[in-house]
Amino acid sequence: MLLLLGTIADMPDPVSLIHKLCRRAIEVEDVTTLLEELNNASMLVLGADRAFVAIANNDSGELSLVATAGDGWTDEFRAKRLKISDVPRNGSTKETDPRTGITSHVAATGKPYVTGDVDADPYYFAFFDDVCSEIAVPLLDGNGCTRGVINIESFKSDYFNESHLELLLALADIGAMRLMMDGYRARETALVEIGKDLSAIADVGQLTGRVVDIAANVLRFEDCSLFVFDKDKTHLILQASHGDLAKRIGDAMYTLGEGLTGWVAQNGDSIRTTSIRNDPRWQGRFEEFPAEEVGAFLAVPIFGRHGVLGVLRVLRRKGVAPWFRREFTDDDESVLRTIASQLGAAIENTRILDRLVNTERMAAWGEMSAKAAHMIGNRTFAVKGDLNELEYRLSEPEDKRGEFKDLAAGIRRGIFRLEEILQEFRDFVRATQTALTPCDINEVVEQCVSESFPKRSKVVLKVTLQDGLPKVLADAPKLKRAFSELIENSVSFQPEGGALEITTAIVGPSEAQKIASLPRAKSYVKIEFRDRGPGVANEVKPLIFRPFFTSRARGMGLGLSIVKGILEAHRGNIVEVGEVGDGADFVAFLPANEES
Amino acid sequence: MCRILIVDDEQEVREAVQRRLKREGYKVEAAPSEAAGIQHLNDSPNLYDVVITDMSMEDAGSGIRVLQAAVGRDVFTEVIVLTAYGNVANAVECMKRGAFDYVEKNMPNVDVYELLCMKVQQAMERRRSAVETVRRLEAFTKVR
Repeated sequence: MLLLLGTIADMPDPVSLIHKLCRRAIEVEDVTTLLEELNNASMLVLGADRAFVAIANNDSGELSLVATAGDGWTDEFRAKRLKISDVPRNGSTKETDPRTGITSHVAATGKPYVTGDVDADPYYFAFFDDVCSEIAVPLLDGNGCTRGVINIESFKSDYFNESHLELLLALADIGAMRLMMDGYRARETALVEIGKDLSAIADVGQLTGRVVDIAANVLRFEDCSLFVFDKDKTHLILQASHGDLAKRIGDAMYTLGEGLTGWVAQNGDSIRTTSIRNDPRWQGRFEEFPAEEVGAFLAVPIFGRHGVLGVLRVLRRKGVAPWFRREFTDDDESVLRTIASQLGAAIENTRILDRLVNTERMAAWGEMSAKAAHMIGNRTFAVKGDLNELEYRLSEPEDKRGEFKDLAAGIRRGIFRLEEILQEFRDFVRATQTALTPCDINEVVEQCVSESFPKRSKVVLKVTLQDGLPKVLADAPKLKRAFSELIENSVSFQPEGGALEITTAIVGPSEAQKIASLPRAKSYVKIEFRDRGPGVANEVKPLIFRPFFTSRARGMGLGLSIVKGILEAHRGNIVEVGEVGDGADFVAFLPANEES
Repeated sequence: MCRILIVDDEQEVREAVQRRLKREGYKVEAAPSEAAGIQHLNDSPNLYDVVITDMSMEDAGSGIRVLQAAVGRDVFTEVIVLTAYGNVANAVECMKRGAFDYVEKNMPNVDVYELLCMKVQQAMERRRSAVETVRRLEAFTKVR
């Protein structure tokens, strides 16, 4: 048969053609190029007159033309969307129902179709009136889902035979393989993306939101919700969702074992079904969309190191084209399980990191309390002394108002110092309690400079802000507190005048990793405070960020430890990289928010 | 005239106590650290009747060392220890080693300065009676 085909002049040898196209399937950058080559080659090797490839969009249930060959194609044709349907024309009554056609029929059934006389065919719909024979073959993926259709037309009647069909099936499979390969590649990229975000995104809510978005692209689901256990592990609370249920984040709650979701959490096993309403466990308490519209449901447990942390569930709507396979496959489940385990690691990571940041600070608390109590005690004692004296003076017959002033000043000083200690104490405690929102770091720096840099100072200030910085998930008041500490430090260490240079910039992960040992997230915003003061001596460099380290008389020496605490709570870091004698150089990094 | 030495590393505290005791008519001197206090005790040509020392300065044992130096210089010197509120353990240790008493700096609802003045007065009385007793003992032994 193949030999027969080979006899026709200018028709390529099918075996070498298939080989060549297999090679191309591996090589070409983008799938459309391959489909175009495949389409051209198919038309040529079958000795046909016209050909096109249409790709299915499973969500809209439409086919769109991605490659055409032969004469007569116009942009108007190419822009056509073919509704996928499986309705044969009823005799001769409806001559032109634009919604049907052989291509749609093949897409819907997933089976090849050959006709030698299009005029008598129940499915055929004419793009062109010169066509007599047509052959159409679906591009099927491993799950039997139609990814597209390749369609070959001939001006001759009864043109296509068995060997044509066989050859076209082989060619269609090359296209299908490439489409699947692209699907897997997208899946892999998405999983890597999720992995990258794990260490860089501070806020679990933000992270889960992002994971859900990425997963939605890969698994093609209409909605997805994440439920996470509360502290007692008795209730599952909605943490992230799309669509309608998003309004109930933090409020929607399943008790353990309740409904499908509760069952998944209780049993640590997944549920995959196409008809949730027929499942006896189903209760329908919280719905992304009405249960009768759910075409497929998949829920997997999220595991941490000590058991289930929550449940991730995804749903597909009943398709606009109901004959499309909507159910989740084994593949889908294993991908969702992978995402769930990454999410589990992320949730646990964030919790551990929070605990770690706080443990380090807790260790300082004992010392901190003793120190604070001592300092507060002494101040109070002194203030009481001033009051005692004041009362005594007031009880004396002669008026010594002049002395009152000194006493009042002493009391005021004492109380101010008390307030400073309290402030420092509070800031230390609260440094790691942050409420993160997307912030423009340049704005934060500008506000901070105008609030904290003294109006009349011998220090020359230069602020260089890079345009178009990505936003940062940050607690702006906390960051301002940190930056003003650095500004005030710099000014107080240059009493005879000097310079302070503040710059912002976007930097890659390698710089942040090298300088401040931060994880390789995508990018960081760098904020640098460089001055011409005495700088930090090498031997104290490791100590300056520790609590109670101070080279100034005032306060408890918590300033820089508060600054570091604030940056760490933002999943960032701060280091001092200056040369002693050349001035101090504080460099802070904050992970950029990729969504902005 | 009664001589008092105050040892405390907080300037405000020293000044406040000094001012209050001067008002009572005592002669008051001050030292800003454990070391300075001990040096003062050893070098001063005059003996102190009462020494008031903070419990924790360089470390939690500063008060005890000042106490030892004071009693070593003059066994009749009465020592009053200032402690942080609620930190009585060290103060009790001082009492065992011969301190007259201790005063907590931050007792709620108490005017510690009045309390301190009272303690100083009591200490002076005890010192006087101790000295008196020894004198009488000396006189008695001479007669025999």
